[in-house]
Amino acid sequence: VVSPGEAIARRQPFTIGQLEVTPDGEGWLVRGPASGDSPPECVSADPDALREWVRFDDSGRYRPLPGALNMRSAWECRCRSAGELNAALEAVYPLGVVHTAQAEAGTLRVVPLDDVLARQTGRYRVSAGFSAEGRALAARVICECCARVPLWNGAASRPGGIACPEACSVLVSFCREAAAWEKDPPAPAAPDRAVGFADFETPGN
Amino acid sequence: MSRGVLLVGHGSHHSPSSSTPVYNHARRLRERGKFDEVRTGFWREEPSLARALDGCEAADVTVVPVMVSAGYFTSEVIPREMRLTGRVSRVDGKCVRYAAPFGAHPSLAKVIVQRALEAGAEGTEALAVLGHGTPRNPDSERNVYEQTRYVAALGRFPEVTTVFLEQEPNMKDVFALVQAERVVMVPLFVADGWHVGETIPEELALDGDELRQGGRRLRYARAVGTHPAVAGVIEEMVAEAQTW
Repeated sequence: VVSPGEAIARRQPFTIGQLEVTPDGEGWLVRGPASGDSPPECVSADPDALREWVRFDDSGRYRPLPGALNMRSAWECRCRSAGELNAALEAVYPLGVVHTAQAEAGTLRVVPLDDVLARQTGRYRVSAGFSAEGRALAARVICECCARVPLWNGAASRPGGIACPEACSVLVSFCREAAAWEKDPPAPAAPDRAVGFADFETPGN
Repeated sequence: MSRGVLLVGHGSHHSPSSSTPVYNHARRLRERGKFDEVRTGFWREEPSLARALDGCEAADVTVVPVMVSAGYFTSEVIPREMRLTGRVSRVDGKCVRYAAPFGAHPSLAKVIVQRALEAGAEGTEALAVLGHGTPRNPDSERNVYEQTRYVAALGRFPEVTTVFLEQEPNMKDVFALVQAERVVMVPLFVADGWHVGETIPEELALDGDELRQGGRRLRYARAVGTHPAVAGVIEEMVAEAQTW
């Protein structure tokens, strides 16, 4: 398995997160997740336009976590060069290619979740008191929804996986909320897909 | 030595428009072409503040907070997450310069005046600089008062005053604070988001972008932070940081 950076240099097809990337003439074709028989919509490779495109899932919900496995489906974009492809991948998965290349090279600075929670201040300070069992469960819940591979949690890299060197802000927010739940458990609520992805204070998330 | 700019913003897990001004300023800076690299980082979005420097290839990077006020975020969260040790730091072999939030820069006063003129002001009105403010953090008001002072020094408006959304003097009292019959209020906010677009117009009971009250008239401008000219202010800030 080669990293995205190497695959681009060798002009080989590769997978990164939920994207399939294949050489296409002089350029590259980037495909989002398939959706049954729906023909893919052609999307601009302009990084700003592409970022806006993937910021919402198929039901129009905001995706604050770019690695979340709920990427909008049935789309593709054409990049004319390796530079355009790198910019497109950066727009979809910020630092994904960089971190994966650094992980391959053994230069990626990996920060454990305990260190991330210990340095929080203000309204996030409470997350430092979150139990070890709770941290493990919270990490599993969030990271199972994400294309990034949590190297900070000892996970092994996998084909198409994007190296994750440090817990994201969504997981830190979740730890903050869950730390409060440990002391004062909320009433059970049925999952509600209308609730925002990281809206942890709302029942049904 | 290659020079880069890293614009940092708050971002949001809930509001997709929160980071839009940061992306827009980054795009404008790239188009203006003065820097080898322009990147973004966020507290609540990705790339995170903690990792944003990982993507910078430039050897000399200036971090500019796309924020109005100095305070908890600029003095504590950003330096901690980005491992900055002072105004100039060495991080992973890079020289990292840490600028003040753009709301502190004197050149922003010209953008405030521009916003007032775009709202239909003719220069004969009173100009009210509207800040968020909060009684919880005395630092949050400082740049708003400073910008009022800078705007007054430009001499384009006969009266310039400061009002706030969440502290005194409150924006609802603006007619009592100035002599002029007509007032233009300019929100010193980063984005045309929830406050500028919804809560403030509602609290002021605006009719469109205007309020008429006993023969007096208030015009309400767009947020300063979304103005394209902010990119020029950021360029000045980076140029100044390069002299440190």
